[in-house]
Amino acid sequence: MDFSIRAANLEDCKDIARMIMELAEYEKVSEHVKVTQKDLEQDGFSKNPFFHGIVAEVPEAQRTKDGHVKIGYALYFLSYSSWKGRCVYMEDLYVMPEFRGKGIGKALMSKVAQLGMAAGCTQLNFTVLDWNKASLDFYAAQGCSDVTAALGYHVMRCEGAELERLAQP
Amino acid sequence: MDFSIRAANLEDCKDIARMIMELAEYEKVSEHVKVTQKDLEQDGFSKNPFFHGIVAEVPEAQRTKDGHVKIGYALYFLSYSSWKGRCVYMEDLYVMPEFRGKGIGKALMSKVAQLGMAAGCTQLNFTVLDWNKASLDFYAAQGCQRRDGRAGLPRHALRGGRSWSVWPSPERRLARYPW
Repeated sequence: MDFSIRAANLEDCKDIARMIMELAEYEKVSEHVKVTQKDLEQDGFSKNPFFHGIVAEVPEAQRTKDGHVKIGYALYFLSYSSWKGRCVYMEDLYVMPEFRGKGIGKALMSKVAQLGMAAGCTQLNFTVLDWNKASLDFYAAQGCSDVTAALGYHVMRCEGAELERLAQP
Repeated sequence: MDFSIRAANLEDCKDIARMIMELAEYEKVSEHVKVTQKDLEQDGFSKNPFFHGIVAEVPEAQRTKDGHVKIGYALYFLSYSSWKGRCVYMEDLYVMPEFRGKGIGKALMSKVAQLGMAAGCTQLNFTVLDWNKASLDFYAAQGCQRRDGRAGLPRHALRGGRSWSVWPSPERRLARYPW
């Protein structure tokens, strides 16, 4: 299958917003998505972006029945480990179902790894739901390992009213 | 106890590097620390920093037996959730043992939360080791929740999400580069 991988631009935010919702539906959490197309435009394409995007595109001849040619994406940002230094965090990796199994997900992830390494990163981090066997198998095949299992790290969060309370001096 | 919380500067990198090693020893992983004082200076204080730091200081009269007045720190960076938008990630939070229990850790974390919210963030995320009961209790008291296991809601946590990482592995090359 013919496809191309390229950096996302402002015009891609509509399709990225669409695919974020598709990914959220796949993860069974679509009611939690608050980010809009406008948020993506503002947060991803301003002077100090919060994230970067990569888009996978197919030729017109392979567009979906709804007419989409942008059929996969990855979002990532640079981060830091006080042990290892520069890292890249892959926030999302998604390929529309009918385009899976053709190397597109791997190409997207590989591009995140390349760009991260070009920026001096020595780790690529991400999270995956433990019921998501297809993804777990995919990531294992890419050489990834589970640091929660290996080291006992747990993901913690503070948000909403608790975050506001924490921020009080 | 008298203490102050302020943004870290280039001169703090020596003490931050020292305290990173102390934290790594506490977490029993000091052999994994590769970051140096020079890395911190370059990565935290250049035009596009990879992280930001906050330092806790005590007056000279309360310096440690080794003469340190910088006795705690936090490192954080801005991040993103494709569901919720802008987030802040707290990479490290540390207070030297003899200064714990005095509100310094809470003040450091509170500052991270304030700065994150000022930048439009709606989540503060971090990780903690599952055997670290003192820290787990501290974070619960600050209103934080575990996002893996059964404690909460998903994003990456429904019924036991996992944090994954590509660790340097001689066998696998994701991007065709030597690690």
